[in-house]
Amino acid sequence: MTSSTRPSLDDPALTIPLEHAGIFEPIPLARTERQQEFYGLKDGEMLLNMGPQHPSTHGVLRVVLKINGEQVVDLDPVLGYLHRGVEKIAENSDFHHIISQLDPLEYVSSLFCEWSPVMSFEKLLDVQVPRRAEYIRVLTGELNRIASHMLFLGWYALDLGGITPILWSFAERDEIVEMLAAITGAKLLFNYFRIGGVNGDLNHEFMSRLGDWMSRAGAQLDAGMGLLNENEIFVRRARGLGVLDRETALRMCATGPNLRASGVPFDIRRAHPYSVYPELEFDIPTRREGDSLARYLLRMDEVRQSLRIIDQCLHQMPDGPVMARLPRLLRPRPGRAYSAVEGPRGQYSCYAMSDGTDQPFRLRIHDPSFLHLQLVGLLMPGNLIADTMAIMASLDPVMGGVDK
Amino acid sequence: MDRAFRALIERTFGDLLTGPVRQRHDETEMRIRPGDVPQVMRTLHDDPRLRFEYLSDLAGVDTGTVFQVVYHLFSVVTPDWLRVVADGIPRDQPRIPSITFLWKGAEWMEREAYDMFGLVFEGNRDMRRIYMPDDYVSFPLRKDFHLPDDASRSPGGGVRPMEDATTPADAAAATSRRTATAR
Repeated sequence: MTSSTRPSLDDPALTIPLEHAGIFEPIPLARTERQQEFYGLKDGEMLLNMGPQHPSTHGVLRVVLKINGEQVVDLDPVLGYLHRGVEKIAENSDFHHIISQLDPLEYVSSLFCEWSPVMSFEKLLDVQVPRRAEYIRVLTGELNRIASHMLFLGWYALDLGGITPILWSFAERDEIVEMLAAITGAKLLFNYFRIGGVNGDLNHEFMSRLGDWMSRAGAQLDAGMGLLNENEIFVRRARGLGVLDRETALRMCATGPNLRASGVPFDIRRAHPYSVYPELEFDIPTRREGDSLARYLLRMDEVRQSLRIIDQCLHQMPDGPVMARLPRLLRPRPGRAYSAVEGPRGQYSCYAMSDGTDQPFRLRIHDPSFLHLQLVGLLMPGNLIADTMAIMASLDPVMGGVDK
Repeated sequence: MDRAFRALIERTFGDLLTGPVRQRHDETEMRIRPGDVPQVMRTLHDDPRLRFEYLSDLAGVDTGTVFQVVYHLFSVVTPDWLRVVADGIPRDQPRIPSITFLWKGAEWMEREAYDMFGLVFEGNRDMRRIYMPDDYVSFPLRKDFHLPDDASRSPGGGVRPMEDATTPADAAAATSRRTATAR
């Protein structure tokens, strides 16, 4: 067949009407450089929509995948399904009310969402937090870190097709959540930190549950991790998947375990100490590989360090008040304050501006999941569709925090 | 507060600073013109005496009269957070150079500032909305944003015309905020 007789793809007689091709919405107009690159399809490429109700997107996330056969060429996350406009809400509510609005951001580690705004308000007000309150913050925070990493362990295995680990890790997570419920009254959105301290001292139920759990935690956590650490199917699947090198991690503003798994020993608890962390002894685990397995193993190393910190907190905790004396209505002087804490996913930070009234003039919430989700677009190209969720889950984003 | 670091910043940037370098708690603040952002950021990132490798945060701010873009950086050479305020971006021409050439991760944070304030970052290759729908017309975190009026103009805003009747007549006044007192 010569080229002149070959039918042209541009021939209007040969094009399929849109409604018959299964396309009911026009593809968005390419406006930005990135959109032109992404939505301009080459030979053999097609777009595939994933989400927003996909079972393993860890919340409500939609991803548009550009695929060539089974291989992902590029992807474009579409955010905003959980957007509440919490920064606007914060500008219209007073300093005490904001804390409860910030809890649902990262609902699996909500103490850290409260911690950095509370710290920045304390800076605005020049409040000295009682030492016992600081110790309680560190203690409950580290418990929450373990609970969050346990959730990661279970979900990550589930995303890779293993069902058993989530049953084991949830047994531990439930125990921690019950403990925190004993002092905060809530199992998920704790709303426990206050400006100048914490809401209520440790009680007998918390202490007896914690003592009971600490005596067997090490062995039980090891057993749960052993399910995956020594599982050949899991290790071979995760090793070498989604490799993130040191320079890229820094350029992409990654923080937390994802940065440390790429060989950067950056942990805000040590780099820029806050609360009582300078008095506590713990290591910063670091790994060099930067792949999904390294990110998983690093989180498990962190769990062991958190156990060390909890143990020291229990031994060193002083007596005293848990709240600073503050007026009910807070009116900080005009100014700006920035504070950051190291959460289970990375750096949670908050930038607060005051204009002298009882509401902040501007409250900026910075969430690590937002930046780690951005990394997925960099790590995915060249991998298979089935690995999309494997890589995304290893970065451990929570959509509540991404969408704010 | 790291006094030596303040002297270093003053010595390095000199005329590029538009105000005094302020320090409070564990923060050092410097103010620059928006046009100087690429030059200042490159110096902060590359200078062996400064080595600001970590971009911690990028935030847009509406002071009521002008816009600001606030960068928070961290370096191993000082225990302080460094806050760089690009001050005085006019409301009618909200343009500022992008820093994605240094930190590609700033791309989404700049998209967020565009979505919420309408700040256009020149050099960002993906300047489109990130949270709000594409057909949304207003910028929610601006101080002159009144929720009932603007949301009803957008089909993606989720407000049906029927609901307008139930809005109190003074809703705009009740939702508007005082402006221009914070510096």
